[in-house]
Amino acid sequence: MDVEPILKVTNLTKKFGNLVAVNRASLEVNRGEIVGLIGPNGAGKTTLFNAISGLYRPEEGTVFFKGMNVTNWLPHKICKLGMSRTFQVTRAFTHMTVEDTVRVGAYNRFNEKNVQDKVDQVIKVCDLVDIRKRVCEDLGLASLRKVELARALATEPEMLLLDEAGAGLNATELAVFMDLIKKLNQESQITFCVVEHVMQMVMGLCQRIVVLDSGEIIAAGTPNEISNNARVIEAYLGKRAVHARNQ
Amino acid sequence: MFETATQGIITGILMGAIYALIALGLSIVFGIMNVTNFAHGDFVMLSMYLSFAVGSALAWDAVATPLITAPLMFLFGIITYYLLIDRTLRQMYVVQLAVTVGLQILMRSAALIIWQAQPRALQYSFIQGNIQIGDFQILTSRLFSAVVSLIFIAGMAYFLSKTWAGRAMRAASDDLGAASLMGVNYHKTYALTFAIGSSITALAGGLVMSFQQTDPVGGIRFGLLSWAVLALAGLGSLPGLIVAGIIVGVVESLTVSFFDPRSRLLGVYAIFILVLWLRPRGLFGRR
Ligand SMILES: Nc1ncnc2c1ncn2[C@@H]1O[C@H](COP(=O)(O)OP(=O)(O)O)[C@@H](O)[C@H]1O
Ligand SMILES: [Mg+2]
Repeated sequence: MDVEPILKVTNLTKKFGNLVAVNRASLEVNRGEIVGLIGPNGAGKTTLFNAISGLYRPEEGTVFFKGMNVTNWLPHKICKLGMSRTFQVTRAFTHMTVEDTVRVGAYNRFNEKNVQDKVDQVIKVCDLVDIRKRVCEDLGLASLRKVELARALATEPEMLLLDEAGAGLNATELAVFMDLIKKLNQESQITFCVVEHVMQMVMGLCQRIVVLDSGEIIAAGTPNEISNNARVIEAYLGKRAVHARNQ
Repeated sequence: MFETATQGIITGILMGAIYALIALGLSIVFGIMNVTNFAHGDFVMLSMYLSFAVGSALAWDAVATPLITAPLMFLFGIITYYLLIDRTLRQMYVVQLAVTVGLQILMRSAALIIWQAQPRALQYSFIQGNIQIGDFQILTSRLFSAVVSLIFIAGMAYFLSKTWAGRAMRAASDDLGAASLMGVNYHKTYALTFAIGSSITALAGGLVMSFQQTDPVGGIRFGLLSWAVLALAGLGSLPGLIVAGIIVGVVESLTVSFFDPRSRLLGVYAIFILVLWLRPRGLFGRR
């Protein structure tokens, strides 16, 4: 394993006008890890993902990916370097078929001649064979989440950011999804950073958890440490819960 | 009466196919980049002058001139994209409007300075004459232009749905951010889109020059025609674009036959307004 973390974010700040959505956040993800990023609604998790993946330009701070300073790089260059992602509010290519959507991702590493094998492989892995010819706008949420994962995988990433990929899935779908992520992590050595509200998924998947609240990172540690951390419980349940628990 | 109408409709259908081609250039730029290029008609005008220049210098037939003018307009499109359009993308919409209207004025003035105000036409085309079908006449040059237009539109449909660049363009059209995060270089994709839109006007300009003349303000007409076709068709359907082009062509042609040749654009403008009132997303549009 590399000594260098695959992703290293230092003091990253992203503002929207007066609102500081992410405030001097620092975090590291090591190669091969599955790290969970949790926090209440509006904590700044999606904004942090957007700043890491190149969609937003942070006001301050740096993002190092695979040892390169990628702060302010254009998204497609960061993708070429090996990072990909999915979206909380799904952003599949609405007017394209599942297969074409995946193919757009696959063009990141493949050309017209050898793209098809990659497309077929990813479509199979993500269980999209039956709906490969369907147009994305006709699909339900569970399918769209799979399409987004497939499209991201088709770019052949070394690191994947998943933004609430479990939201809206039922228990069965969630279990399948978690198995797939574990498998990709173990067999394809993909590093994951997952934003997740579904605690079952966070606890079941992540080796390490980072907690964001009001734009600031307030805790980081193993799932066990985090679930016993007073500041985290406070952020989630309010002060009274902490008192109640301590009594 | 019946003869006049039929003749008008035939002429209108043939012109309509060419209008669809002209509108295709506007449609892909608007549909994919969300850029409203008010200078689009003037790209056609410039293309026609380039066809005139190439045709008279090399003694080429107008319909052959796109072999040279299309690469030139492709280049012109790339330069215009990087110098002007690219810088308006993250600005307020009025900036884009001002820039493309400015470009329109610039192109018109340049044409006036270079070619003066008198209309220019190429003398000769090998596809001259008429085809006679019963009582009706079809200008061979128009028939040829219409067929080439339709073939090109079909080719563009293939390009957009089956090639790497076409898929990247459609992905960028659906969601630019998501596309770039999946490795699509949006600068290049947009430059290519704009350049293709621009070289389409070169093809159209060459075809139109086989039976019409050009003048520095001719762009207004092509601009209005393309907007009317696009409004009628809506975004995202190339067959819809062809049907809309033909409707506009027929309306224009019938206005000329039955009303007054000088009011040819009045009919076109009337459809434009009617569509905006009655069906803002067009007859075939998906948004
Ligand atoms: N594009 C934006 N413009 C303005 N404010 C935004 C934008 N995106 C997010 N915000 C604000 O930034 C804060 C963090 O939002 P977000 O990153 O979406 O949180 P999370 O993903 O943790 O729920 C919220 O207060 C949200 O309203
Ligand atoms: Mg979010």
